[in-house]
Amino acid sequence: MGENRKVLDVAGVSKRFGDLEVLSDISFQVEKGETICVLGPSGSGKSTLLRCINWLERPDAGQIYLNGVQIGVSGGGLVMNDRELSQIRTHIGMVFQHFALWPHLTVLQNLMEAPVHVQKRPKAEVRDEALALLAKVGLGDKRDAFPAKLSGGQKQRVGIARALAMRPDLLLFDEPTSALDPELVGEVLVVMRDLAREGMTMLVVTHEMGFAREAATRVLFLDRGRVVETGPPERFFSNPETERARQFLARYAGDTANGRRGA
Amino acid sequence: MIHDFGIVWSERDLLLSGLGNTTILSALSAAAALLLGFALTPALMSKQRLPASIARGFVDGMRCVPFLLFAYIVYYGLPSFGIRLDNWTSGLVALTIYNAAYMAEILRGAWAAQPREPIEAGVAFGFSNIGLFRHIVLPPLLLAAGPVIGNQMIQIVKDSAFLTIIALPELTHAASSIQSRHYVPFAAFITAVFLYWGLCLVIEAGVGSIERLAAARR
Amino acid sequence: MSGSDVLAILQGAVVTVTLSLAGILIGLPIGLALAVLRWADVPVIARAVAVYVSMLRATPLVTLLLLLFFALPNIGIEIDPISAAILALVMNTAAFNCEVWRAGLMNFPKDQYEAAQSVGMNAGLRFRRIVLPQIVRGCLPGLVNEMSLLIKVTPVLAVVGVVDITRAAVRIGAETYDPLPPFLVAVALYAPIVFALVSLQRWIERRQSKAEAAA
Repeated sequence: MGENRKVLDVAGVSKRFGDLEVLSDISFQVEKGETICVLGPSGSGKSTLLRCINWLERPDAGQIYLNGVQIGVSGGGLVMNDRELSQIRTHIGMVFQHFALWPHLTVLQNLMEAPVHVQKRPKAEVRDEALALLAKVGLGDKRDAFPAKLSGGQKQRVGIARALAMRPDLLLFDEPTSALDPELVGEVLVVMRDLAREGMTMLVVTHEMGFAREAATRVLFLDRGRVVETGPPERFFSNPETERARQFLARYAGDTANGRRGA
Repeated sequence: MIHDFGIVWSERDLLLSGLGNTTILSALSAAAALLLGFALTPALMSKQRLPASIARGFVDGMRCVPFLLFAYIVYYGLPSFGIRLDNWTSGLVALTIYNAAYMAEILRGAWAAQPREPIEAGVAFGFSNIGLFRHIVLPPLLLAAGPVIGNQMIQIVKDSAFLTIIALPELTHAASSIQSRHYVPFAAFITAVFLYWGLCLVIEAGVGSIERLAAARR
Repeated sequence: MSGSDVLAILQGAVVTVTLSLAGILIGLPIGLALAVLRWADVPVIARAVAVYVSMLRATPLVTLLLLLFFALPNIGIEIDPISAAILALVMNTAAFNCEVWRAGLMNFPKDQYEAAQSVGMNAGLRFRRIVLPQIVRGCLPGLVNEMSLLIKVTPVLAVVGVVDITRAAVRIGAETYDPLPPFLVAVALYAPIVFALVSLQRWIERRQSKAEAAA
């Protein structure tokens, strides 16, 4: 049924930091299996939007629904407490720009930590699944290594596997390759592209135009806190509708051709 | 309770003189300890083994001895060698020598963290010896070490309270005297606690302004 | 100084070590609790903790001890010297430990904490599984330093009559009119304990900076 395919529903979300309105009346929906790439210049509010979805930042206005259930506000209209928010967050995975792995745990322990202690799943089952995920991202042999010993690309692949271990309905990516050396970006994008192809519902904030072109089902273009344009990547990249999108793409066209990341 | 504080208020002269003694004692020994520390630090960092090991032995030794015991040794133990000091001098000497070791260690650490280039530049511009030290070396060193020296000064204020055991009329001794004569222990000691707190807040404010000076120059 | 004199000082050493251990073991978790209260910014309580810590860190231990020992009976709480001593030690060391723990908490990397939030860990899990194991490592040098400082202030307990190393030494000195030898014995007892702790702290710091350099 149509309604059941809507994983994420964002309606009228706004957020300000002090005097600065970082997000203004953001509304969009994500259907199951879609890969949405959020693009835009620095300061456009992309990361803030992502962080509002799992309430790492608290929106000042608007509603966010995951599979029909509102995030952040409980049925009675009260703001959710930490426990209720934690419950919802188990259904949303997040991949961080600086990996955010837990350094005192091995790679395998990083993956198993939340499924065992939060979802209370049996250890043996979690272990098997974690090993399978590590193999999937190409890091099976690193399972007993500590994060400090890994390269940036390896850490991020572990980060993705860790998010997947929770079996989330939605995966959020906060500039997953921005902190990586150029040679390491590719290995992470490959994993993300495969995930998209397998039907994972993904919301990706990125500067990697090549990835957006290839893997996105839709592009969301943000500028100064507003959704300026949205549409399939083929149309957005070849024939943008708005002037701001055109300016943005003009700046990045040369950069992607040279393989350089934008500012 | 109010009555108790009234009694303490009536004895305020004694308390204030105790506070004065604490402040003077702490300030004098802090200054003396800092100067001694400056003399010790070169020995501490010396490449020659004898001065370095003597200085290191002294600093480590003072770090391992409780101050109260050291004060006892200075006051009660030195007479065995014919050196008889009154309680004021004993207290001052004990505080100074004990903290000179800590100051030396603080200065050594601050010196090790100083960049070498500005000093080389100073030499290149013709500064030397006393001038170099006064104008080029000392200011950034003091700015960097300021907060840690400030903490040590707070430590000195608290150590000074130990000297009540050798009947030095500092603040704790004054509070003790009031409480034993008038049976107002809470009022007397709480007042002393607030006075110590106030003294430390003043030192911390001083440290704060040094930190602001340092930050403005970064 | 006779053999029985040395024995008396050794008995004092037992008291010193026991009371120090009590102060350290009780003061560590209380300091952590105070630090967490400030870090979590619990309304009103966080401010109260800040004021408490500021005052305790500025108060000489001897003044605090005299306050507790003489003032508590005045409001109806009878207290013996040993309990007053432990209470004073704990109040003092908890305040200093609080600052050490707090520095660790405030320097904790935000993104690791957010990662724990994002996988649905509640506050208790986040603290127990992610924050605490790591800050214990970071705070260890400061906490061991505070332990060595605690041992160095235990002579103050002699002021309320607790027979620790210092009081034993003082008494023998007074009885024999020869204060220096028992004092030197006292130094010989304190110094190794403190030196062991200081060396432990330096060893921990060296090991941690090596681990960081290797990573």
